[in-house]
Amino acid sequence: MKRSRIPLVTMMLCLVFFYLPIVILVVNSFNQSRFSSRWGGFSLKWYEKLFADRSIWFALKNTAIIASAATVTSMVLGTLAAFVLHRYASRLQKLHYTLVYTPLVVPDILMGMSLLLLFASMNIQLGLTTIYLAHVTFCISYVAMVVLARLQDFDFSVIEAAQDLGANAWQIATGIFLPLLAPGILAGGLLAFTLSIDDFVITFFVSGPGSSTLPIRIYTMMKHGNPPVINALSTLLLVVTFVLVWLSQKLNVERSTA
Amino acid sequence: MANEFSLEIKNVTKHFGTFTAVDDVTVSIRQGEFFSLLGPSGCGKTTLLRMIAGFEVPDQGRILLNGEEITHLPPNRRKVNTIFQNYALFPHLTVRENIGYGLKVAGTDRTTLRSEVERMLDLIQMEDHADKKPAQISGGQKQRVAIARALINKPQVLLLDEPLAALDLKLRQRMLIELDNIHDEVGITFVYVTHDQGEAMSLSDTIAVMNHGKIEQLGKPGEIYEAPRSSFVAAFIGDTNFFEGNVISVIDPEYSRMKIDGLGEVTVFNDKHIQQGSPVHLSVRPEKFQLGRDRPEDPAARLNCFEGVVEDVVYLGSHTRYWIKVGEYRVAVMKQHARFLLDEKPVRWKDRLWLWWHADDGFMLEQYHEADEELLSVPDTES
Amino acid sequence: MTWGPRTKETLLSLPSMVWLIGLFLVPTLLVFAISFRPSTPFGGVGEGWTLETIRGLANPNYPTIIWRTVWISLSTTAICLTLAVPCAYFMARAPVRWRSFLVMLVIIPFWTNFLIRIFAWKIMLHPEGLLKKFLLMLHLVEPRTILMYNEGAVLLVLVYSYLSFAILPIYAATEKFDFGLLEAAQDLGATRLRALVQIFLPGISRGMITAALVVFIPALGSYVIPEIVGGPSSEMIGNKIAQRVFVDRNLPHASGLSALLTLAVVVPMLLVLMLQRRSPSGLSKPEGRA
Repeated sequence: MKRSRIPLVTMMLCLVFFYLPIVILVVNSFNQSRFSSRWGGFSLKWYEKLFADRSIWFALKNTAIIASAATVTSMVLGTLAAFVLHRYASRLQKLHYTLVYTPLVVPDILMGMSLLLLFASMNIQLGLTTIYLAHVTFCISYVAMVVLARLQDFDFSVIEAAQDLGANAWQIATGIFLPLLAPGILAGGLLAFTLSIDDFVITFFVSGPGSSTLPIRIYTMMKHGNPPVINALSTLLLVVTFVLVWLSQKLNVERSTA
Repeated sequence: MANEFSLEIKNVTKHFGTFTAVDDVTVSIRQGEFFSLLGPSGCGKTTLLRMIAGFEVPDQGRILLNGEEITHLPPNRRKVNTIFQNYALFPHLTVRENIGYGLKVAGTDRTTLRSEVERMLDLIQMEDHADKKPAQISGGQKQRVAIARALINKPQVLLLDEPLAALDLKLRQRMLIELDNIHDEVGITFVYVTHDQGEAMSLSDTIAVMNHGKIEQLGKPGEIYEAPRSSFVAAFIGDTNFFEGNVISVIDPEYSRMKIDGLGEVTVFNDKHIQQGSPVHLSVRPEKFQLGRDRPEDPAARLNCFEGVVEDVVYLGSHTRYWIKVGEYRVAVMKQHARFLLDEKPVRWKDRLWLWWHADDGFMLEQYHEADEELLSVPDTES
Repeated sequence: MTWGPRTKETLLSLPSMVWLIGLFLVPTLLVFAISFRPSTPFGGVGEGWTLETIRGLANPNYPTIIWRTVWISLSTTAICLTLAVPCAYFMARAPVRWRSFLVMLVIIPFWTNFLIRIFAWKIMLHPEGLLKKFLLMLHLVEPRTILMYNEGAVLLVLVYSYLSFAILPIYAATEKFDFGLLEAAQDLGATRLRALVQIFLPGISRGMITAALVVFIPALGSYVIPEIVGGPSSEMIGNKIAQRVFVDRNLPHASGLSALLTLAVVVPMLLVLMLQRRSPSGLSKPEGRA
């Protein structure tokens, strides 16, 4: 039977569509000329400019602080939520599940807007703290979903075996449960970390003076022209993305061979 | 109507990359015949079936349906329907909609469609489940729906691709009888693909045993079992013992004397007229052997008679399997028994016994491959 | 350990529930409440209740913008699904060792920073950019044509941003689809196109519904894309919310618009939930507990 070529052609077109703009961006980060359509020779000058830009370093520092803090907090809260959701099937957990699930489908702008209203009506000064609170809020759901998926194929008989051998609840949690679930929790944490680094819309609504994160800095630069330093910055962020995707795939593989 | 053959396959070859799935196969299937393609996985039987159905196009050769060439016709334009291995029922349609699908696609008017579907539901006794989805019915019921869905199109040939493989043993035996009844009732040609020799034996008018893309032997079930022509057929269908040697004399047109290396001389049926001096392999099925504590008196029995030591006895309920060391061979022997518990002196390990078989029960093989020995059952315990 | 199981469950649920109630549920309700508050000249929220905002939403500009938001989001969803189905089909039929590589290729853009992806297109669509030169070469556009700052550009970048969201769930459904069913349909006389429409598409409908939701809902709330590559004639409701917040500092008005958007998001979600309730679980297993 002859196979249609439509799927192949569509796939190829989509891949070109996905990667062409990214490739052009990366190539341009090494372009001496500031116009993307003209190749002015290889140059690292945009990278030099980028590293010399103190506002970028400042934004990077904020991003790193928020992402680390939000990741750790959401890993704890998300894992706990996933465990409870998996362990109990009560009406309370139905409500709990809805609370965990809904933030995943709410558009960013609504979440940003509602958090801004909360902070404004409570007269909380906008800054790093409010960004942290906002990030944890959406990260919990992602961590919980990833861990919950891992719990579906977790073999609970090992817990019973540990109980049978005389371990108490604390020993089971720290000695058996967490180490076995670690790849899942780490994968959730990795996702939370990436989402926190990437988030622009929610952050924009709840940030205050002096709390620019990297995406906010990129946005501000982008609003006022196409400075080629963004190409250089984007290329570096792409490298980080590749590493993170690779890491998360590796965690996936470890899980499937475990 | 003038055609004696419902389906003719002429010199069909199919490659997948460098792998030859079907290798120059020619076979003709009679009108109304229950024809089985039997072989291990990867032997090309499913590929051949898929070429008849139209899912694969042969690289070479032709396929004729009632004398008309269908080699390159797409599957939707062949008067041939298939029962798929996993039934392939449409999960989003009800039983009724599944059965009526073929007629609906053909644009049959609504009243005819409805009455035909009802007739089919009645045939497979599924009226009570007509509005259920496939996920809500049992494996055997799915099987019946798949049959009805294919038969409603009044195909000239019905193709069945391992249709019983997904069922458990008891259900398989029941469906076997049902399939047989349906074949008798509708009277169309069935082409049945299976790796299960029992299914093929009990259902078929003709069996084609396939191996490495070729038909190794074609014949009635009895012929295939009793007179295998190659080591593959002998070993794949049922169980057997192979003996290696050469023809030392041709006694008469029917019988020859053969010397088996490491055992001795025997008399064998020689319908293949194998020449004196030719190296040859002999196949003797386990149930063909006789066992006795004393040497038999009958001269016919003494022609192929050897003394051996029992190495293993495995009681299997309906019969017992013995492994007997005779010369350099470990021979598998199968015996059914009567008055088993009353038997005064049952055969035990290390007993010395006489073993013989009738000259007509040993078959010299036209083809022998050592690899086929792997298909044989091995002693359950090593000595 | 003398706590009852009930107490234990409650205590363990407390941390995440308190957090999400305080920082998700309460703020969402606040959006509706503040829609009925007056605004203060200094960008705050006044005391008392008013219908001023609701009356403000009757401004004749809004129906156009709401209509455009819905239209652009629906078009984005339709284009994404149209492209995603053949892609998913290709991925699911590819040899197994190729599949994870293809999935990776689709996932990478999905993990790439949202702003970078938009920026890449800003460069592509720039009057001096490559796309313009390419189209000029093919004589498809006039030298004066501006590719950016219109609805087309917004649509293009929205599709770019959400296409991988659409491919992944459809691929997950397609991978579980039994392609033997297509052969069965053809065996019974259906043409290939008929088999695809009657058997394949219903077979992956759950994946398509998920894909439609994960594209349509964020598209409804999009704000950065129309802000960067769109112009005044292609503003969406998200832009209006941001303008009320950052330009005129009118929080009650922004809340009113957000409340409207929330309702717009809830309607398709409930619709899908109802649809999934009604269709029996014959097609494919529901994913997880969702």
